[in-house]
Amino acid sequence: MEKPEKLIVDGKRLDGRAPDELRPLKIEAGVLKRADGSAYVELGANKVLAAVYGPREMHPRHEQQPDIAVLRCRYAMAPFSVEERKRPGPDRRSVEISKVTREAIEPVLFLELYPRSVIDVFIEVLQADAGTRTAGINAAAVALADAGVPMRDLVSAVAVGKVDGTIVLDLTKEEDQWGTTDMPVAIVPRKKMITLLQMDGHFTGAEFKQALDLAFNACERIYEAQRQALRERYAIKQGG
Amino acid sequence: MVEVRTGDFVVPGDFLATTEEFVPGEGAYEEGGKIYASSTGVVLVDARMKRISVFSRVLGPPTLKRDDVVVGRVDEVRDQSANVYIGVLRGREDRELPLPNLGMIHISQTHTGYVKDLAKQFKPGDIVRARVLNARREPVQLTTAGDELGVIVAACSRCRALLEREGTKLRCPNCGNVEFRKLANDYRQGVL
Ligand SMILES: [Zn+2]
Repeated sequence: MEKPEKLIVDGKRLDGRAPDELRPLKIEAGVLKRADGSAYVELGANKVLAAVYGPREMHPRHEQQPDIAVLRCRYAMAPFSVEERKRPGPDRRSVEISKVTREAIEPVLFLELYPRSVIDVFIEVLQADAGTRTAGINAAAVALADAGVPMRDLVSAVAVGKVDGTIVLDLTKEEDQWGTTDMPVAIVPRKKMITLLQMDGHFTGAEFKQALDLAFNACERIYEAQRQALRERYAIKQGG
Repeated sequence: MVEVRTGDFVVPGDFLATTEEFVPGEGAYEEGGKIYASSTGVVLVDARMKRISVFSRVLGPPTLKRDDVVVGRVDEVRDQSANVYIGVLRGREDRELPLPNLGMIHISQTHTGYVKDLAKQFKPGDIVRARVLNARREPVQLTTAGDELGVIVAACSRCRALLEREGTKLRCPNCGNVEFRKLANDYRQGVL
């Protein structure tokens, strides 16, 4: 794709959003029957599925930790998730995202309750349009709560960035590609604790603060959607 | 602070009460003098016991408690005890059991009567149904005393064919070998 002349016209982005506007968000808990917990997240054109298994005995045994459970995350993109068919299997990017996802979620889990065990989180990107790592974290947090894994809090995540000199929330693929800065952020909502912050590009001090405020505000709304998904799921389980 | 009441829906991280007022029960935890939810569900306030918990019908990981019935595989038979790998908790077959999943049946807990030779009660590879006596110890203490408890599937120790029940004995349909076990009354009826 050619670089558009402008990514923001009259204060509106190419998809019509205001700079501080989130794409349409949909979260559903408990979508998979065979997983211990699961969640589905749609954020704009992103479609992401998370499945949780465990805590259960860690295999192989030599990877067991004597006094805590191991959180194992695997982020993967389906071959059909991007325009040019992706070669299946883990690549460097998936390995890196799996790692930061684990680090973003680990602080809210009571891993000490399950020595020698493993909690598996599988994140499958079915359709990608920038922001899949944060969508994956949002899905994983809901899936863990759906699995009844004891947690200190949920985790909410979103990307912020700079496009045509403007700080924007929740970048699309074009904005990510042609913008100057992309910063995914994950927070623990109650404690306002950041568990993921990556920066690709550059912000001035003032821009950084503005971007972070934008991310925190958006995470509040994402958190509400996560709660709502769990509430709906709970009502169904309660009834059935 | 908004007062949390019985029946309120909460998710992990929701504030429930302070530790001056309450102690955290199931599905709740304490941090810095405050009690928060650690699971998704509805709040249960026990004013008498000063306990606040989260009651979750969204079942979490199964946990073994006294009197739970489990099904497992005998891994080793010693003079005084048999070791059992616990496979499932009855009623929670939907989900793998977290650790500890190693159980132990002491010779005195195999039968309601006196048992002299544990090797005539269990053999490695047997599938047993047992009741939990103590889940706080590791291995988990189990018993097979009672009609409905004991071996539910056993294989011939010579040729590994599944043994068939003949009164109080087991006979191998393949090689004719006769063996003994502490049998559950529904041996090989396909019920866990
Ligand atoms: Zn035989």
